[in-house]
Amino acid sequence: MGFIADSFRMAVSLIVAGDADVISAVITSLSVAIWSVLFASLAGVPAGVAIALGKFPMRGAVRLLLNSLMAMPTVVIGLLVYGFLSRQGPLGSLGLLFTPKAIIIGQSILAAPVIANYTLGAIQGADERILPTARTLGASNSQSLMLLVREVRFGLVAAIIAGFGRVVSEVGIAMMLGGNIRMYTRTMTTAIALETSKGEFAFGLALGLVLIVVSLAVNLVLTVAQESHRA
Amino acid sequence: MNVAKYNLSSVRASYGKTLAVAIDDLSIAAGELHVLTGPNGSGKSTLLGILAFLNKQDKGEIRFDGVPVNWTRKECALLRQRVTLLHQHPYLFSGSVAGNVAFGLAARGIGKEQARNVIRESLEKVGLAGFESRTARKLSGGESRRVALARALACKPEVLLLDEPVANVDRASAALFESLVVSLASDGMTVIISSHDERLGARLGARMIYLEDGKLGCAPEPLPSVVSTRREEGTHANS
Repeated sequence: MGFIADSFRMAVSLIVAGDADVISAVITSLSVAIWSVLFASLAGVPAGVAIALGKFPMRGAVRLLLNSLMAMPTVVIGLLVYGFLSRQGPLGSLGLLFTPKAIIIGQSILAAPVIANYTLGAIQGADERILPTARTLGASNSQSLMLLVREVRFGLVAAIIAGFGRVVSEVGIAMMLGGNIRMYTRTMTTAIALETSKGEFAFGLALGLVLIVVSLAVNLVLTVAQESHRA
Repeated sequence: MNVAKYNLSSVRASYGKTLAVAIDDLSIAAGELHVLTGPNGSGKSTLLGILAFLNKQDKGEIRFDGVPVNWTRKECALLRQRVTLLHQHPYLFSGSVAGNVAFGLAARGIGKEQARNVIRESLEKVGLAGFESRTARKLSGGESRRVALARALACKPEVLLLDEPVANVDRASAALFESLVVSLASDGMTVIISSHDERLGARLGARMIYLEDGKLGCAPEPLPSVVSTRREEGTHANS
């Protein structure tokens, strides 16, 4: 118990002192997560809307696939993207492997199905009078869709929160595609894994605490924003 | 003599295997007030959905202002700018009352300044002057319906379709609705109201369209019926 307590005290002092490694890992984690969620939203939200409203063959199969992709192990995504970005891979000439961009690509792929699925749920749960009301008021299809998206925006924020939660806490993609390079691609999760394996439990714990605080803070900010708009 | 706004020929609409509407021949006069009545499940709402160009009939032909409707996406979008349906349980968008009333105006590309005047006038018509900044979802049931009516009126449609507008509303709101639709029709708007109230047509001096099992019929006596069919030239709306 004393070991945990001592580690906890050290962890707090590392955070308070603004340890450069801790700060770098936090900044890297947040920046790749934000970019990943942004790109995943650009793909996931329209995909979710299209699957919810579209009438096309194999729609059920597409939904099933989307559900399955939500459970895709991060290391498998990392592995697949690694194959594309490695020197021998089709995108190897871009030199993206072991850069933050590679992590963003992998994490975007990870978050997109999550965001699409949540969006799908939000659209399907929307009041079925929204589209007929918009149309009978003379709105075009695109105007009606924009209205629908606006009306379910709280569901979309939940989708983005879920996507953010998924990427900020994952370790497989960041490790495989980022390479865990200090002060460059080392994220909070990869740093925790590395430092703990080296016996630097206090350092790992410090990052773990920051990770929890960051995750809670992002959720809190988005939830408060949601509630204030709802009111 | 009024020309027909709508001509329906051999129109059929079904939900699965259930035939909801089966109208052989119906003309609806332009610029007049009509009351569409009939028992529950008689197809009133389905017919209104078709007349609003929201739902396509399965078979038959509809002419609007004498022009056959082809139901292309573009055509429907254009027609819906001329015809507005007020649903039985209208949906108010999140946000303010003004935002709700402005929606149809924005869809028509009307500028904010002009829209502001239209919003004010529309709310005045339904007795909700000064409600612009109120939160739409916090209004009472009667007020919500009036906002929905104001939202429809702001679009200045040629045809206004109202699905059970006075069901479950307070007496004051019902009276306001009734006097307003009479005045709209006298101003030249084609107004079609669906209602369970078989006395409504007589009360408003409206033309009656009676539906039973999706088919045109005669309202039970002693209610006047002016169901118009091409075979009944004497009472035909186009005659």
